[in-house]
Amino acid sequence: MTTIVAPMPGTILEVLVAVGDDVVEDQELLILEAMKMENPICATCKGKIRELTVTEKDTVQTDQILVVME
Amino acid sequence: MAFDTLIEELRGKKDRALLMGAPHKIETQHAKGRLTARERIALLLDPGSFFELGMLACSDMPGMEDRTPADGIILGFGTLNGKRVGITASDFTVLAATLSRVHGKKVHDFKQQMHQYRLPHVFLGDGGGGRVPDGQGSIGMTSSAMMGTRSIFNMYTNHRQAPMVTAIMGNCFGVPMWQACAADFVVQVKGSTLSVSGARALQKIIAATYTDEDMGGWKIHAEKTGIVDRTAEDEEDCFRIIREFLSYMPQNNRELPPRHPIPEDSGRNMGAIMDILPEKRTRAYDMYKILLSIVDSGSLFDLKPLFGKTIITCLARIDGRTVGIVANQPLVNGGAMGTDALEKMTGFLCLCDSYNIPLVFLHDSPGFLVGKEAELKKVGAKVTNAMDALSQVTVPKISLIIRKSYGQGMFSMCGPSAGPDFVVAWPSAEISFLDPVVAADIAFGALPDEEYQTLKNQMIREAGPLPAAGRYFLQDIIDPRETRTYLVNVLDIIADCEGGGMGNHLLANWPKQF
Repeated sequence: MTTIVAPMPGTILEVLVAVGDDVVEDQELLILEAMKMENPICATCKGKIRELTVTEKDTVQTDQILVVME
Repeated sequence: MAFDTLIEELRGKKDRALLMGAPHKIETQHAKGRLTARERIALLLDPGSFFELGMLACSDMPGMEDRTPADGIILGFGTLNGKRVGITASDFTVLAATLSRVHGKKVHDFKQQMHQYRLPHVFLGDGGGGRVPDGQGSIGMTSSAMMGTRSIFNMYTNHRQAPMVTAIMGNCFGVPMWQACAADFVVQVKGSTLSVSGARALQKIIAATYTDEDMGGWKIHAEKTGIVDRTAEDEEDCFRIIREFLSYMPQNNRELPPRHPIPEDSGRNMGAIMDILPEKRTRAYDMYKILLSIVDSGSLFDLKPLFGKTIITCLARIDGRTVGIVANQPLVNGGAMGTDALEKMTGFLCLCDSYNIPLVFLHDSPGFLVGKEAELKKVGAKVTNAMDALSQVTVPKISLIIRKSYGQGMFSMCGPSAGPDFVVAWPSAEISFLDPVVAADIAFGALPDEEYQTLKNQMIREAGPLPAAGRYFLQDIIDPRETRTYLVNVLDIIADCEGGGMGNHLLANWPKQF
């Protein structure tokens, strides 16, 4: 199980994957709007999306879990 | 044969020294997953190349001679990657490699010799701290530096004339800490610790409740203090990292870094480099992907990757030649440079200036990470310090403006007027005092919408690189796909100039820590 966390505080702009999707390493999962930038949040390894803990427009804090992968 | 007895006695002493502390201490060391000092030296150096000095040294305390082979510090010469180096290794099995008079004299004398010979010096630290009761009493303390009124300074100084590498391989205090803070490159093995004082002593002195790990575990130094440049998974990985670091470095500051063969597939991703840079100006991307496309395959050697992550500092090879790269990282905080990152950059400028390594800057940053927290961390001082250092860099500097380059940040990244020898932009560059959208809000925010939009769009257009190239503040605007070729040509020109890009090393005597 791998968790993907927010690297900085911001707002979720886009969710690019759904639960059950197979993803490859480095694939963009979410776009986090922070520091006036759209920051892609990428998969740290190959795997399947098990859980998405956020939806678009959610405000998140640093280190908050965004995605759980297996 | 004459002298048989004496030779036999000498052999006995040397055999004893090779056994180090005691068999059970060696077992304890192995049980911790750590090697002994002699095993480490044998593994790091080219096989059979170790030439030892001071094997017969021992403690000067009465009755301690047999318990202190080499007095806890093993040193000498050897070869590494086929090149001559000096090596010093703490022997934890001898009184935890604590510092005593003879131990200290060995460290001092050898550092001085390495300084004279201008050879790379590797220090493998494990243990340390002062030895009790050796240093007790006014004679014990004042004689602990052994050799004269200024002899102690040698312990903390590094004149950056030949590369100095320190590895942290056990629970390190005292001497290894000073060697880490003075070194050009520091690697720490996971599971080791590095602190000025040990938790056991602190529990007695100030009733501390924390551990050595809390004070100086790898995460502390890799992420918070920045004292350590790289973290190693284990000892073998540590030696691999040291060999790799030294492969980029000259033997000393009077030489240029060695040129290496160019891997055949280098630059093969240059055609697709525009796929990495997002079309949308506000979209972040990973600068490492750009760097990996440009440099020779497999040659990117990151320094302090987990500290001040808004700026990447790495050694790399382009066309087989060593370069030092300073690049903004838009993926972290939008590339806004933080105080740790500025500190990291200043240290890196000192390294490159000292060892004749040309610098390449890649701009994509909105400026500095400002605010109350930044002010409390002396952001003004960090910016000034970095600029002061940049002004004194004497190796060639190449500046590439990839995307954003705003305000003071443009100067800090060696942009126009901040001393670049070569300065070009990609067509995607945006150069201005402020982000044009922010500036339009400030200047025209009160105007009717239509007028505001027109003026804002004009500001965005004017931030493009063409006007600056028209006034020769930029020497050219290049097709991003030609970036590697551009750098290869520039490095060729530098190699042909007098001295081949040798610097004057003005930053060699700058502090190692800030």
